[in-house]
Amino acid sequence: MSWLLTLLAPILGGFLYGIERKLTARMQSRKGPPILQPFFDLFKLADKRPMVVHSYHAFMGIIHFVAAWVALSVLFFGGDLLVAIFFHLLSTSLLIVAGYSVKSTYSRLGATRELIAIAALEPILILTAISFYLHTGSFEVSKILTAPTSIFTSVLGFLALLIALPGLLKKSPFDAAEAHQEIVGGVEIEFSGFFYDTVYAAKWLDMLFVFTLVFLFGGSSFVVGGALAVFAFFVVLLADNSTARVRYCDMVRLLYSLAFVLAGANIILGVVL
Amino acid sequence: MIQEFLKKFRKKSPWLLHYNAGSCNGCDIEILACLAPKYDLERLGVRNTGNPKQSDIFLVTGPVTMRSRERLVELYTQMPEPKVVVACGSCTCTGGVFRGMYNAEDGIDRYIPVDVYIGGCAPHPEQIIDGIVKALEILETKTKEIEQPKKLMGKITENDGQTDKTKMAGSL
Repeated sequence: MSWLLTLLAPILGGFLYGIERKLTARMQSRKGPPILQPFFDLFKLADKRPMVVHSYHAFMGIIHFVAAWVALSVLFFGGDLLVAIFFHLLSTSLLIVAGYSVKSTYSRLGATRELIAIAALEPILILTAISFYLHTGSFEVSKILTAPTSIFTSVLGFLALLIALPGLLKKSPFDAAEAHQEIVGGVEIEFSGFFYDTVYAAKWLDMLFVFTLVFLFGGSSFVVGGALAVFAFFVVLLADNSTARVRYCDMVRLLYSLAFVLAGANIILGVVL
Repeated sequence: MIQEFLKKFRKKSPWLLHYNAGSCNGCDIEILACLAPKYDLERLGVRNTGNPKQSDIFLVTGPVTMRSRERLVELYTQMPEPKVVVACGSCTCTGGVFRGMYNAEDGIDRYIPVDVYIGGCAPHPEQIIDGIVKALEILETKTKEIEQPKKLMGKITENDGQTDKTKMAGSL
């Protein structure tokens, strides 16, 4: 089962992204692209003439995808939550290295913003993992999935993750790192053709990764976990369509003063109770 | 065989690069109207990327002003093939009311090869959608060979990582 999920992860992620684009269109009362649109984009990009800035940059794009896939597979195989979060962080940092390695203003600007964003977002992921540890006594995903549901005891942690989700998925209001009309995609600007494919598909894997994290709040009850993941998906989409982009320093301020405090309070409550 | 398989998806996901070469914004607003809910170009898979390295359709508005011609040609050379160029609006096709003026060129086809011309000042959104659909047919027949701009850049080769800016804006 875990092998199957891991191998099918890019396909599942593609479908999820297709559904998201369709739902976004419906929320704006548009018809929207077909659900398979992400795969069409993928095949079309693979057909373009290869254009590489330098080989190191292109290679970092591929490794970024591989690291995102490894992070997801650690979750699917029931491994250590901290290892999964570490690989998630690693994949983002590889993209930042790629962004800094080219002589492009927008790419470097995007990389700097991405760096600031992960400084605000990753502590929340770590605190979420610690709250799982407090409620189940283990960082192992397989143990968390057999423990009782932890959403009622760590509702503050769930709220913190919910606030951080748009930042993790690079959606409005926390999409300053890739801001499409402002810095034209940030770190991904210099990728093209097949190498952009890898960055594009890594986004789908990131999406699956964070919603699997949300799913873990359900514990042994997969219905509750699924419901929470679907709820989080809708909330993120709604926030994406109804809010404007905030500046990156405001983003850090909001994340530290709201999400970080909520996650910290959740840990303190977990220790006290 | 893989090439034949991949070729089918060209017309299903055309990504747009919109460039304003000194337009009065009339055409730009009509293009935005195409992307907005009423006409919704995204149902055809069109996405306004704003990034030349990932786009397929180069949608240009405006007569080419002296200040914008270098950027026009540079953006064109940064797009990987296969690509099509759509000239949107009368000014872009022929120079329109600005034809013969000292500060504007007579249309973009003096600088880059154009595949589809959309007339009108400004063109209706229906016309723009028609033009893009026509451009998709042309996109299917294109090869991956490097297409050369007509002026300013010199010859572009496979190894050109950067554009040679010393040759730009030289010969007119």
